[in-house]
Amino acid sequence: MYKKVMLFSFLLLSMITLAACGGESADGGDESEKEKEINLYTSRHYDIDDELYKQFQDETGIKVNVIEGSADELIERMKREGEQTADLFYTADAGRLHRAKEQDLLQSVESDVLSENIPEKLTDEDNEWFGLTKRARVIVYHKDRVDPSELSTYEDLTDSKWEDRILIRSSENIYNQSLVASFIELDSREDAKKWAEGIVNNMAREPQGGDRDQAKGVAAGEGDIAVMNTYYLGGMLNSEDQEEVKVAEQLGVFFPNQDTTGTHVNVSGIGVTKHAKNKENAVRLVEFLSSKEVQEQFASANYEYPVNPEVEPADTLKEWGDFKEQDINLSKLGENNAEAVKIFNEVNWK
Amino acid sequence: MWLLKGVNVLNWFRNIKSNWNTWTLLSILFIALILLPSLSIILQFAAETNENWIHIKEYMLNTYIVNSVILVLFVGLFTAIIGSSLAWIISAYDFPLRGFFQWGLILPLAIPPYIGAYTYHGILNYTGVIQTTLRNQWDITVDQQYFNIMNMPGTIFIFVIFLFPYVFTITKAFLARQSTALIENARILGTSSWRIYFRTVLPIARASIVAGVSLVILEVLNDYGVVKYYGIQTFTTAIFQTWFGLGDLDSAIKLSGTLMLLILGLLILERLLRGRKRFSFTTTKVRLLQPVKLQGRRKWLAFAYCMFIFGIAFIIPFIQLISWAILTYDQSFSVEFLQVIGNTIGVAFVAAAIITIMAVVISNVSRLNRGLFAKVFPRVTILGYSIPGAVIAVGIVSLFIGLDKRIYEWGFTSSYILSTSIVMLIFAYIVRYLAVAYNSVESGFERIGTQFTDASRILGNNVTKSFFKVDVKLIRGAIFGGFILAFIDILKELPLTLILRPFNFETLATNAFNYATNEMIHEAALPSILIVCISAISIYAFHHVLERE
Repeated sequence: MYKKVMLFSFLLLSMITLAACGGESADGGDESEKEKEINLYTSRHYDIDDELYKQFQDETGIKVNVIEGSADELIERMKREGEQTADLFYTADAGRLHRAKEQDLLQSVESDVLSENIPEKLTDEDNEWFGLTKRARVIVYHKDRVDPSELSTYEDLTDSKWEDRILIRSSENIYNQSLVASFIELDSREDAKKWAEGIVNNMAREPQGGDRDQAKGVAAGEGDIAVMNTYYLGGMLNSEDQEEVKVAEQLGVFFPNQDTTGTHVNVSGIGVTKHAKNKENAVRLVEFLSSKEVQEQFASANYEYPVNPEVEPADTLKEWGDFKEQDINLSKLGENNAEAVKIFNEVNWK
Repeated sequence: MWLLKGVNVLNWFRNIKSNWNTWTLLSILFIALILLPSLSIILQFAAETNENWIHIKEYMLNTYIVNSVILVLFVGLFTAIIGSSLAWIISAYDFPLRGFFQWGLILPLAIPPYIGAYTYHGILNYTGVIQTTLRNQWDITVDQQYFNIMNMPGTIFIFVIFLFPYVFTITKAFLARQSTALIENARILGTSSWRIYFRTVLPIARASIVAGVSLVILEVLNDYGVVKYYGIQTFTTAIFQTWFGLGDLDSAIKLSGTLMLLILGLLILERLLRGRKRFSFTTTKVRLLQPVKLQGRRKWLAFAYCMFIFGIAFIIPFIQLISWAILTYDQSFSVEFLQVIGNTIGVAFVAAAIITIMAVVISNVSRLNRGLFAKVFPRVTILGYSIPGAVIAVGIVSLFIGLDKRIYEWGFTSSYILSTSIVMLIFAYIVRYLAVAYNSVESGFERIGTQFTDASRILGNNVTKSFFKVDVKLIRGAIFGGFILAFIDILKELPLTLILRPFNFETLATNAFNYATNEMIHEAALPSILIVCISAISIYAFHHVLERE
């Protein structure tokens, strides 16, 4: 028995050593090839992203090392890592990108390619991050129970005619936070709070589930309208699961505030970190991702709107038509985020 | 009896001298390691309050605490009832498929609760299999509220069915080996089964049940996936809202600190209340409890109960996952996937092995030393288990970056080595899951008491020799049990793996989670199934080893 235990311990120790060395060589071992690598932290988890990194490597010989995680946790990790950190940070929602910027984790990038490919509005004011894909937070309605002419603006959703008819997810979700942050920017904190209060009053049920669940709730008759991001509906319309397709087909998309402030849009975007060791290559990847060819793939794979104005959105999205967007720089969403969270708590939006 | 006591006193004196040996040193070292990352959290606890704190107190804490308490109470109660009753039925009676249920009922542990939550919602919701069948076959549209699982009762249900095996395993191990004499006496005296369960089984197995339930409660308090998806606001929600929503890590840590102290207090209280009530056996023979063959209706009743629990906690979600995986198989499977499987098993095996060894050392030292300190000290192993994973991760990153900086400055390395390697992740697993293995090993040691060790030492063996020659053989099952529980937990682990892994390192759990968070539950099915299968195989292996003994 004693021998067995000793043997076991020995095996264990060697495994640990191996594991440790494995980690090292993956990172510090190939010093000479350092220029050929960039390190990326991302909170996006789409298969298309991996494919694009591979294409990038084929084209340039630069390998993209990836850690996926939730955005806030990655931000925390970067903060702790200080000078030894990833080269790029890639995440959904301008609110989060701004959080990284605020913590002094990103750096300004000057690139003609980028300023040509990406509209100024979808870029950080100081060029610290760049939007790569765009999504709109819209109202979806049940085609039989709601006449789109009844719909007009986000503000109108607080009207008593929508009492017990609205489905929207929990306030803990960043998309809702950014939506309210945009109202704080366009109107005022009081207006934003009044809006949130009105929505809570009109909710058909306590917030639960994700965006897709709101759509299903409308189809099931739990509510008549829902607020959700466009790409979720796109995903449902093109789902492998026929039942999801059936749900999505019952729903219409309405772009609110067309005659006033415009529909709320947001991006997933990327920024070069302040302490990036491979800045040049990192910028190359960003440029690559904003290029026309890549934007086309992006758009068709995930039903997001391309940021590059030269690229057309996927067919599903084209059917919904063009729309007027909120005219604010997306940095503002981040600046107003904490206030938005407080508003939600104050009005008891779960 | 007084002779034994005298021996104990004698031993105690010897312990002081000879116990300051490697065992004690190692034990203290291990605990210090565990404490390091928690320390930063404890320190933060004393920091000044800021304006966010006031906001948190005014708007968040009340409902969140109430929800957490309800959740913990009900999940604790139901897992105790289900876990201990199943353990009792299976240890004491023989009925169809009993052999299978012995390990089959541990299988629900293989399904991570957040995957279970997604799956059950997937089954029950509007596009789920039940409602679509009703709609498409018979044109019946049901009222959604009867099919809504995303509420408090639904959340309790999810936790209970996927966590009760903690109580089941630990209690069963106890009953099968340790309760024989008491239960057989009760049987001879003609006590009815129900009476035996309530009057004999529950009291003597209390320590095991409590050990199991405390693991369950810690899992519940720590969970973020299930409550987030189901929209239940708990204490953990408050921690994350504060951290991410308000961007205030300090206050978030303060909240975790409160949670941590609360749990620690509860556990120490339980420990003190239990006091000297122990049921360690005093004969040298370990007699296994002989199951009584059930007849007629009772046979099928026992079978139906086990089958029902097994069905809802394993078969139903598993079948649903398989049907989803078939739907998306082409997209989700690739050669890289094999690498992911390798990663998952490798890292879980190494970490679980280290954890088990540490747990054995710490609990052995604790049990051989008398006194309050030695008893309470090891409770800190639970610290890592009581803080939400994401918060521990912060402590650990700081620790490793600090270490790396030193090493770098001294010129040993050209870049940061520890924090970019798998070492950091394995360390995090240890901090987090030591409690799991520890609880199992400790309850094993508790059963055998110290008589055998004392005897061995009187015969001239030192602690180490006694340990390998006597103790290990007696608690092999408990050690294995601890290893397997830790192994499975690590297979399923999420927040730590997400934050602390090195570049290009994916596990099955991160893979499944990535899809699930994007509301691509179908794509998440394949990695989930693999987690379940690997866990299932290890559970079976564990059971097989125990059987052979």
